[in-house]
Amino acid sequence: MIEIGPLQLVLCLIFVVVAGTGSVVLRLGLERDLAWGTVRTFAQLFLVGYVLKFVFQISHPVLVLLVFAFMIFWAAHAVRGRVKEKQVRLFLPTFVSMLVSYTAVAWVVTAVIVQVDPWYKPQYFIPLGGMIAGNSMNAITLALERLFADLRDGRARVELALSLGATYQEATAPMVRQAIRTGMIPSINALMTVGLVSLPGMMTGQILAGSDPVVAIEYQIVVMLMLVASTAIGSTIVVHVVRRTCFTRSSQLILR
Amino acid sequence: MTTIDWTPLLAHLDRPSALWPKKIELDDVGLQFEGKPPLFAGLNLTIDSGDFILIQGPSGSGKSSLLRLLNRLQDPTTGDVLVDGASTAEGDITRLRRALAWVQQTPVVIDGSVADNLTWAFGFDIAKRKSPPDRETLRGWLDAVLMEDVALDDDASVLSVGQQQRLSIVRALLTGPTLLLCDEPTSALDDASREIVQDWLERVNIEKGIGVVMVTHLPFTPRRARVRRLLLEAGSLIEQQSERGAEA
Repeated sequence: MIEIGPLQLVLCLIFVVVAGTGSVVLRLGLERDLAWGTVRTFAQLFLVGYVLKFVFQISHPVLVLLVFAFMIFWAAHAVRGRVKEKQVRLFLPTFVSMLVSYTAVAWVVTAVIVQVDPWYKPQYFIPLGGMIAGNSMNAITLALERLFADLRDGRARVELALSLGATYQEATAPMVRQAIRTGMIPSINALMTVGLVSLPGMMTGQILAGSDPVVAIEYQIVVMLMLVASTAIGSTIVVHVVRRTCFTRSSQLILR
Repeated sequence: MTTIDWTPLLAHLDRPSALWPKKIELDDVGLQFEGKPPLFAGLNLTIDSGDFILIQGPSGSGKSSLLRLLNRLQDPTTGDVLVDGASTAEGDITRLRRALAWVQQTPVVIDGSVADNLTWAFGFDIAKRKSPPDRETLRGWLDAVLMEDVALDDDASVLSVGQQQRLSIVRALLTGPTLLLCDEPTSALDDASREIVQDWLERVNIEKGIGVVMVTHLPFTPRRARVRRLLLEAGSLIEQQSERGAEA
């Protein structure tokens, strides 16, 4: 594989300059954001690069899991930020559900399917785990937005069910089903279009790194199916846990 | 008015001996929503099972909220709501709500047929040992509220608001409640339908001992039942003289 050196990276700034010039000429007002974004890209990725290098050298399970927990923390934080619902406590239930379900799925992939030895070998566990967290984060955001929208719209129906003797679980069962479906649809669509519409990033990376394309697609298949499981498990658990926080102890819907 | 044979319909409903709770009390109840002036304060009221209560008052006086306090869809800001002497904040809220069937001001129907709507509440865990009424019984109920032209398999969402109101009342009654909490149950009905629904609320009250708490802004002249009239106005609840129907 051809390595990229400092000179090439500097050369890449041409792209930013092109975009920046466009912004000035067309008065888009994006120059500041573009410059700051470029600085952050360099800084964050270099930082991650050195942290990962360190983690790979130590290769200790506690350290690997800590890094994974850190990634999930930021994923949960992003979900909290993107879901526009301020009446309900969201962060902690989301974080804990994501941590439990994603660690389990990542473990199954490395230990049982790919059979990495040891299972926490960071070269495998961290990128695979990162893809799980990144993809399911979108699924969970979609699922929660749908859940809150449906609970608000369906408030009268929920209260009717409660007043006829339904538990809050029974009263919200159709909303919960719809929320989980909404979260899962993108990863199911991805199963339909993968390879036709886009070449996934990981597969592209492997091919660039000199892998046999057939080896690369085999990994990609593992990843695709792993993502179906993690979005399903993740959004199911999060939606159920968050639904509980939408009701008081006397089964009153909090959302207004 | 059409003559209706009530006997088979009423026979399906639970007998008064099965009724719980015996008594519901508002104990010094106040309610205030965030950022608004208090709706009311210091309300006291005792509802015995079998009472027929009419709550009237200007709009915005909190009549609907009062009903929601009774089945604890709403917590009081001050005071408490007691069921047979115990706070409704404790105890089995699902059972309580089942016993106090609430009929919303704006009727809500679920996706599905008229029959699906009428038997919906039998699908909940609390009713797992009860079998839903058969189609003949459901048919009889629809006829009894002047919905002869509506089929059990019709899509419920295409019914008129007035028909959905009647559907909602029948749906609530079929669950076998102790008390019906009705929020403007006849607001979208024509005179004939309103008369039949009111007559029929009085019948279940007299013949089955089912209590009725009804919020309405429409005139109501009882035929048979003994009706307690309450006026909710300017934050307080005033009990007016009770009234017995002329045909009693």
